[in-house]
Amino acid sequence: MTVAVASGRLLEDSMRTLEAAGYLTAETWRTTRRLILPCLDPHVRCLIAKPADLLTYVEHGAADLGIVGKDMLLEQGRDVYELVDLGFGACRGIVAFPEEKAAGWEALSPIRIATKYPRVTERYFWGQGRSVEVVEMNGTVELAPQVGVADGILDLVMTGRTLVENHLLEVTEVFRSSARLVVNRVSLRTRAEAVRTVVERMREAASARARSSV
Amino acid sequence: MRDLLPDESARARTITDGIISRMQRWGYHEVVTPTIEYFDTLVRGEGTEAGDRLFKLVDRGGELLALRPEMTTPVARLVTTHLRAQPLPLRLAYAGQVFRGSETGSGRLREFPQVGAELIGSDTLEADAEIVALAVDALAASGAVECSVSLGHVGFLRGVLGALGLSEEGAAEVRALLYQKDFVGLRAALDRYGVPAARGDALMALPTLSGPHAIQEARRVAETRETRGVLRDLEALAEILEAYGVGGAVRVDLGIIRDFDYYTGIVFEGHTAVLGFPLLGGGRYDRLLEGFGAPYPATGFAVRVDRVLAASPSRDEEGGAADVAVAFTAEDRTEALRLARALRERELSVTVEILGRPWEEMARGAFAAGTPRAVLVTGGRAVVRDADGHEQSVAVADLLAGHPGNGSAPWAS
Repeated sequence: MTVAVASGRLLEDSMRTLEAAGYLTAETWRTTRRLILPCLDPHVRCLIAKPADLLTYVEHGAADLGIVGKDMLLEQGRDVYELVDLGFGACRGIVAFPEEKAAGWEALSPIRIATKYPRVTERYFWGQGRSVEVVEMNGTVELAPQVGVADGILDLVMTGRTLVENHLLEVTEVFRSSARLVVNRVSLRTRAEAVRTVVERMREAASARARSSV
Repeated sequence: MRDLLPDESARARTITDGIISRMQRWGYHEVVTPTIEYFDTLVRGEGTEAGDRLFKLVDRGGELLALRPEMTTPVARLVTTHLRAQPLPLRLAYAGQVFRGSETGSGRLREFPQVGAELIGSDTLEADAEIVALAVDALAASGAVECSVSLGHVGFLRGVLGALGLSEEGAAEVRALLYQKDFVGLRAALDRYGVPAARGDALMALPTLSGPHAIQEARRVAETRETRGVLRDLEALAEILEAYGVGGAVRVDLGIIRDFDYYTGIVFEGHTAVLGFPLLGGGRYDRLLEGFGAPYPATGFAVRVDRVLAASPSRDEEGGAADVAVAFTAEDRTEALRLARALRERELSVTVEILGRPWEEMARGAFAAGTPRAVLVTGGRAVVRDADGHEQSVAVADLLAGHPGNGSAPWAS
């Protein structure tokens, strides 16, 4: 059994949840730079992958389960089972514009949006009956409007501080995201018992952590 | 899009031929339909939404055509036209490339090979059982390892959905979430539409309603007339499959979610533990042929040859070197080519030297490529050399006639 975990902002909480579920100890994941970690349960191993690659591993069955943000699920539309909302990593996908453009954003046409989520962006604006020019970026999306690459952005925000510091104003929310436990569709069948055990232990660990943090 | 190199290509052919010949033993006859169909024909079979995922073409007359995205609709068209007068049931098999316009991203190909079977004209459980047992047998013939078939029924999902008392809009949203296998979103939607927890639980339990206790468990969570009937059918079906001797390879799995506008009864998928994608998919589609003016019930499945290829061990002996390499000196060409022809008639693969290399060099090259034996035809005799260095000289006439010249000719019959 392989559980893939997204590196980056979800890594720490993912590891803590795996720890709470009894699969890892803190030392194993804090003290190593290895990308495949052995677990306390000898039948389980843990693989650390880039967030954008994680669903590829799970969809292909290279990992049976994965922990990934809902934002990636929405963007990539992969054929995997999304079974548990693990609760952590909560953030929102929003559209924001520079303060001076924000008021009239609904009238802008054509509209150029910088984003790490090209498919979500196209879907959202097409859903509004508007055509959109998507400017795909890999990071520091909030820079794009300031240097004239785009009119606005569609990006993930947690606290909104980055927006304020870059003089951007949120105009609408597109989606809400948090970490999800996903399962390969074949693993769910060929390793049914083992997969269910991991899913249930992770579900309990996640809700126990949610309770204790309140 | 991908290429198949000689080794893979040989294995793909072996898989396809193995499955087709297994289907023939069950009385299924192969048919071939055109790669290009009229757009209207395909949409009639698969629904207007499917139009988006087709590769479309326009012919000189302005007629809209499309590449077939699967083979069931073309077979349905064929059955309702050319085979209309034939007595039912019809047992048909096919093998061919299919095309998907919208599939992009990793692991999804725009073109891939399918082999499948359709059993047309019967709505009995016996027909369902035959097609599932044939699917198990097809996987066995394919050479893929550690295979199993998961068997569900769209009626179970329909029954559960019907009992939720949702508005049309709510039902559409819930179905969309089920297609996406988004059970987090599903829970939220059920709560939002005020579905009583007990009823919603039947849907939330779908991913776990599989295995030997699936039917009992399903009875516990769902209690509608439709689900009762479906579960009874599945139980009876499991008994027939037991009699077929394939009970061990089939497990009931009510969480199999396939297009429920297209399928009307059982649905199933074939899996292997070594691949993350299903190897085959199928089910009962009793309404498809109605669209072509012939209300025949039907059931069938298709195997993805490319995925079987990925799930079966590669074997060295296939797609590789020739059995014999033949070289000759200039005046012995006729003799040499006659020898090559005779060996080919004995089902050996034979290459003839066309580069004019010296015999030693040519033989070394042939052995290095894995050909076990090289022959030099010169002065009316054949020098036969094996990869292990063993060499003998035989009269060509003796080789061809199959009479050993000195009691040890290599191809003596």
